[in-house]
Amino acid sequence: MKKLSIAERLGMVNYLNQSKTEAKPHILVDTDICNHTCDHKATTYVCPAQCYTLDEVGKVHFQFEDCIECGTCMYACDKGAVTWNYPDPEIGRGVKWNFG
Amino acid sequence: MEDKFDCIVIGGGIAGLSAAMTLARNDMKFLLIERGEFSGAKNVSGGVLWGEGLSKLVPNYWEDEDAGFERFINHRRLTFMDGDSSFSIDFKSESFNEKPYKGVIVLRAKFDNWLAEKVQEAIDQSKYSEESFLAPNILVEEVLMKDGKAVGIRAGEEEFFADSIILAEGVNNLLTRQVGLQDSYVPADYLAVGVKEIIKYEQSVLEDRFQLNGLSGMSNEFIGTATMGVEGGGFLYTNRDSISFGLVLGMISLRDAKLTPYDVLNHFKEHPVIQDILRGGEVVEYSAHAVSTGEMKVMPKEVFTDGLLVAGEAANLLMNSGKAIQGMDYAMHSGVLAAETIIEAKDKGDFSKTTLKVYRDKLENSFILKDMKNFQDAVHFLHSPQMFETVPSLVCDFGKQFFSIKNEPTPKTREMLTKSIKKHSSYWELIKLGIKGAKSL
Repeated sequence: MKKLSIAERLGMVNYLNQSKTEAKPHILVDTDICNHTCDHKATTYVCPAQCYTLDEVGKVHFQFEDCIECGTCMYACDKGAVTWNYPDPEIGRGVKWNFG
Repeated sequence: MEDKFDCIVIGGGIAGLSAAMTLARNDMKFLLIERGEFSGAKNVSGGVLWGEGLSKLVPNYWEDEDAGFERFINHRRLTFMDGDSSFSIDFKSESFNEKPYKGVIVLRAKFDNWLAEKVQEAIDQSKYSEESFLAPNILVEEVLMKDGKAVGIRAGEEEFFADSIILAEGVNNLLTRQVGLQDSYVPADYLAVGVKEIIKYEQSVLEDRFQLNGLSGMSNEFIGTATMGVEGGGFLYTNRDSISFGLVLGMISLRDAKLTPYDVLNHFKEHPVIQDILRGGEVVEYSAHAVSTGEMKVMPKEVFTDGLLVAGEAANLLMNSGKAIQGMDYAMHSGVLAAETIIEAKDKGDFSKTTLKVYRDKLENSFILKDMKNFQDAVHFLHSPQMFETVPSLVCDFGKQFFSIKNEPTPKTREMLTKSIKKHSSYWELIKLGIKGAKSL
């Protein structure tokens, strides 16, 4: 079988409210905490949707648009940087599984 | 407040729907709120619904032309893997074809949706056919408390009131935290992340490859190099015309290995043995979810308070004991027990925790907490590095010796075993492991 990239995998996900240009973020990340006080940067590894990335100078960046609502970052971050909520069904992002 | 409900159920997954079914059949007036567009739209599981609980909730469900399940299990396989080999324990039995089935494979977007239809039918036949509701696409943001008692919920600007609340919101239990039953921060130590692909095949290819007959199905779990040294394991379940294939990985272990779940998944899929299993399939969905492991330390401090009960994964009721990953059956049964407790509370006219604590006793006396308590050692054993590193390597090494015929004088099996053990462990380590394993299972 062909090896899939994470982008290809996320391309199969059915995201909600895609037509809305400005969806309301359901996760807020204080990346100052990630960049200044976190020694493990766990979210950049454990997130299965690559919402947390490290740039070339080792700084953490976050985007919520690809989030598949798994909740992993809420546990992995033990520094209090992640404020996690469920997306709003009307104006938030989030997923609708075809199979689940 | 005349139009308040007997109960508001938050979450339309298996726990919530099982509670709702029980409430409807007992002529209770309730509201079930689901944040997904339909029941199942937000849910991910491996997944096998083990046991016969479904046949009690929906009698003769297998007669339903399009019952929500994919296949029943009559074939189970546990596979140990090293870098180039696999060694499986394989069990198939015609006796598992008997109804009620002992386990059915499900895809949640379909199964939960089907179960919700069944609940709606029960509502239609109940005394409150016009006053009980399944309400999807609504996010509950707050449980309303008054004098320490749960009295209702808020969703956006709307408030709804009830004598009781059942929280069945799943593992990411924000409301359970909000009412103070769970810590506001739950550490990753006892949680895992599951990643999964739905891989589609022509049905005849699937049936031939996995020796399926009619609606029979197979479950296969994998331990060893599947996970690149990360604590956890792989799974494969046959659906009607696809497989559910993926990994469950310990969050801390993944973090410490600096690996992503999708890279480990790619590694797993590249294993030569796995390649032969998967060949020709097409991935049609990628999904992931946080999941409990069965470690009881992670559970909420309590599963009840005044006017409120917690059911299913919201109470971290899930266990991987090595025999099976049980979670959906726990969700179903705890949902039923929660609803029964609410029905009894209504008869008594008392929804305080003095009455609702009966729910705790019901859980303690059921297979759910009995098994979780009895098999805590198995949960720990399964998460020990020996189990996902030493044992699979040793087993495969032995397999390579035992199954190769070299036209040379053949050593006795015991010598082969000794060689494998010395290579990957020691007799002493293995005896310790054996005792631990024998005790825990």
